Amino acid sequence: MAIAVFFVAAALAVAGGIGVVTFRQPIRSVLSLVVVMLALSVEFLLLSAQFIFVAQLIVYAGAVMVLFLFVIALLGPARETGRGRLRFQAALSGLFVLALLGLLWSMLQGIQYRQPDQGTDLSTFGTVQSIGIGLFTKFLYPFELTSLLLLVAAIGAIYLSRKEGDDR
Amino acid sequence: MSGFNAGGSQLDTSWFLLLAAVLFILGTVGVLVRRNPLIILICIELMLNAANLTLVAFSRQLQNLDGQLFALMSMTVAAAEAVVGLAILVDIFRHRDAEDIDDLSELKG
Repeated sequence: MAIAVFFVAAALAVAGGIGVVTFRQPIRSVLSLVVVMLALSVEFLLLSAQFIFVAQLIVYAGAVMVLFLFVIALLGPARETGRGRLRFQAALSGLFVLALLGLLWSMLQGIQYRQPDQGTDLSTFGTVQSIGIGLFTKFLYPFELTSLLLLVAAIGAIYLSRKEGDDR
Repeated sequence: MSGFNAGGSQLDTSWFLLLAAVLFILGTVGVLVRRNPLIILICIELMLNAANLTLVAFSRQLQNLDGQLFALMSMTVAAAEAVVGLAILVDIFRHRDAEDIDDLSELKG
């Protein structure tokens, strides 16, 4: 059962990824990315990461994608037309991607995992409780720095989107 | 080959890693080939998501929660990146149409 769920979600994710790259209209790319996010959230559930699953749905498929949709609605539909200025770009990027694919494939062939950590309670693995304990003990400083990062991003976005000549 | 149990059936960790690699490469293709700056941002989101899947997959394989916490951090970074990137894009589009990322070459030395 879980195997079937994995492969269905994986096929959806790859199809959505191909859609992101190939669709000409930005709105279709964004909607394909929503499909990828939803499929990946299912994969997170298979990996017993319940909290990440919900965060993926709310933060990514909810907030970030709606932000992208708003920007597209603001800027209007822009189609890509014509050829790029760099003539060898497509061939070069194809070569680069093939090299990257070969590298990743060869790495996955000889992969060996270390022994799983002992003493982990798998019944609470990935629940809100265990994530919260991790965030507020071992990862307290990174967690607090995250709030600083979000503050900086918010201030930057407000500054960038101010009106022209409004420099008070 | 090594895996773990999910709902009574055995899943292989390398399947998840392979899926993440494929998605990451699709994002790379998008960044390299597409010329609409908005689509390039979308493709970067795709790559970040693939990296997240890798983190969570290793977290499950090694039964160590640190990977999931790291994925949460990278989600925050992705959200901040999207906000600032889109703000810059809107600011550029307010002054002129930049449907091709190659038009934005004023900073070239």
